[in-house]
Amino acid sequence: MNALTDRHRERLLGYALIAPVAIFLAGLVAYPFLSAIYLSLTEKIVGYPAHFVGLKNYESLLESGRFRIVAWNSAAFTVGSIVVKLVIGMAMALALHHVVRGNQFIRGILLLPWVIPTVVIALTWKWLMDLFRGLINVALIDVGVVRSGVHWLGDPTLAMVSVIMANVWRGFPFFGVSFLAAMQTVPQELYDAAAVDGAGGWHKFWQITLPSIKGVVAVVTLLSTIVTLNDFNIVYIMTRGGPGAATHIFATYSYELGIMSQRWGLAMAASLASLPLVALLIVAVVRYLHREEE
Amino acid sequence: MTTLAKMLGVLIALLTIAAVPLLEPASAAGKLSLWRLKTYIPPADKILDANAQECAKKAGIELAIQTYTFDDMWTKFTAAIEAKTLPDIAELDAVGPARLANLGRLSDVSDVVAAATKELGPILSNADGAVKFGGKYYAVPHYAIPLVLFYRSDILTKVGAEPPDTWEDIQKVSEKVKKAGVQDFPNGFPWNRTGDGYDPAMSLLWSYGAAWVDKSGKFTGIPKAQGLEALKVVTRAYLADKTAAFDYLSWSGATNNEAFMAGKITFTPNGPSILFQEESTQHPLLKDTAIKVMPKGPAGRNLALTFVMNWAVPSDGKQQKEAKALIGCVMARENFVKYMTGSFRQMVPLFAKPLDDAYWNTPSGKIIVDTVKQGHPVGWPGPTTPAAAEVVSGNVLTDMITRVIVDKVAPEAAIDEANKRIKEIYDRLPVK
Repeated sequence: MNALTDRHRERLLGYALIAPVAIFLAGLVAYPFLSAIYLSLTEKIVGYPAHFVGLKNYESLLESGRFRIVAWNSAAFTVGSIVVKLVIGMAMALALHHVVRGNQFIRGILLLPWVIPTVVIALTWKWLMDLFRGLINVALIDVGVVRSGVHWLGDPTLAMVSVIMANVWRGFPFFGVSFLAAMQTVPQELYDAAAVDGAGGWHKFWQITLPSIKGVVAVVTLLSTIVTLNDFNIVYIMTRGGPGAATHIFATYSYELGIMSQRWGLAMAASLASLPLVALLIVAVVRYLHREEE
Repeated sequence: MTTLAKMLGVLIALLTIAAVPLLEPASAAGKLSLWRLKTYIPPADKILDANAQECAKKAGIELAIQTYTFDDMWTKFTAAIEAKTLPDIAELDAVGPARLANLGRLSDVSDVVAAATKELGPILSNADGAVKFGGKYYAVPHYAIPLVLFYRSDILTKVGAEPPDTWEDIQKVSEKVKKAGVQDFPNGFPWNRTGDGYDPAMSLLWSYGAAWVDKSGKFTGIPKAQGLEALKVVTRAYLADKTAAFDYLSWSGATNNEAFMAGKITFTPNGPSILFQEESTQHPLLKDTAIKVMPKGPAGRNLALTFVMNWAVPSDGKQQKEAKALIGCVMARENFVKYMTGSFRQMVPLFAKPLDDAYWNTPSGKIIVDTVKQGHPVGWPGPTTPAAAEVVSGNVLTDMITRVIVDKVAPEAAIDEANKRIKEIYDRLPVK
């Protein structure tokens, strides 16, 4: 009886200890999230009460040619960024995995882009890619590669490439460090045995390294996809979605609708439009990880 | 006391401490909050703050000043509108008074305007449309930052061209500059998703007779023929003559003060801040920098006044009398002139008397004053309305231009698209 009471007390103490975190999560995550879903189902103009309109906002978005452009841009921005970050992050991890001297120093340097504020990164890249005064164009002209400046932020395709480059530069260390940590848990014996069997570096990577770290790869890719899909700063600072709407993505479009045009309901719908895709991705990755564990 | 009770006690104490600041009233007696724009002229900001603090001190009021930039103004105000935490005194942009008055969130300040009029003379008639609704003033015009046409006089001399007076002239001179090999992309008009884009876009369309409303502010749509002419003159620079770079359609900085001062463009529409920068740094291009009133078109010189700041008293405030008195004091002649003359010609009054001040009696000063006198509020030829505000803030006009240039949409289709968007806005936000 006494033991049961102790267990109850312990359980209550446990609840009390997690209560602050639970309250914070409910207040800072659950409430805004549910509120956003509710607002997306309303005609809500800033300063006026919200009126429930069901799925009308989503219908308007689907009918909007502008939203289709934004959705396409968001997909291009996200997929482009993630693929390049994956490749560079993997290369970084593989290179560092075999570095013995100065390993910690090099890791520190490579982590720098990840710890620099995004605003600074976006402003720096904007300056680097400036048509007239940007370091990249000045350098290209000086070494005779081009006669006049490349329209990094002016050409619609290059503008998308440019914002992807800035995003990649900021995000690849997260991939690299995560992959490196995973690689260091792979038993050396596996590589030794493969070497005895005559496997080369390429085979070792495909047959041992990648299968051993694929769980980490999946999780890192998923997390980065969510963050990239919701990225705002880089595009807003570098191009404001321009030229025209060539780099307008979900976050900048939602900002334009919600803050500049004061249409919160529609803005919420625009920002939640990618939610089903993200939810599907999360379910797929979680199921995959569970299967792997089993 | 059990461990559980201790833990709960600590938790309750922490939550109580955290809640204390939330219980404190936003505006206690004898305190006023003022939000103002942080401008590109820091010395002028200092004068304004000193004036306001001096006025507050005389009235025995503690004044808390907060600032915002053009970029984050609506982020701050949107949050405050929803949370009902607007300041006692708000400096609002050109569309702010219409938006907030329409929400019933601004107090009638006709009495403050009347007092200011005694000191500063009548309000310019073209400024009324942005602050006067239903016969009452809901804001006091503070100043305008007019966009003027900056050009390089030395380059024009070199290619034998006169300073341009029409939109067509700008195009023709730009072609000359390019052909002479002086600059690759001299035509620095930006049609991007900022005020630097939609201000000249309105001036362009209105100068071609392509306004989207009538005099009552009701939707009529951009007339196709006039709209096509306006689109033709600006899209040619990108698609045919290549005197403008696509970068000007982005927010790359390729058309701004720095690009002009770096000698990369011949023309740019800009506030007088270029003069401030060049004068304060004794820039080598100062002697070759000239300004002119923005170009005219077949329908006249119908300039937009988009960068206008106005004092307003949100009705949420509990000390409206004190707030109005403080605005009155800041707008008193002595204070206002001190601020105006310390603004490097950036802050142009919208009252008649200070415009006659000797301060403006310089070649550039006269042009700046002329520009303000000829300017029209957002939504011209009607008054500024929430719908007109959304047309500009939703970038409908610059989108119309860039749809042709970037997306290669036919000009007729781009105008149809724009009209469809504008009609949807006016249907949703009908003009009262």
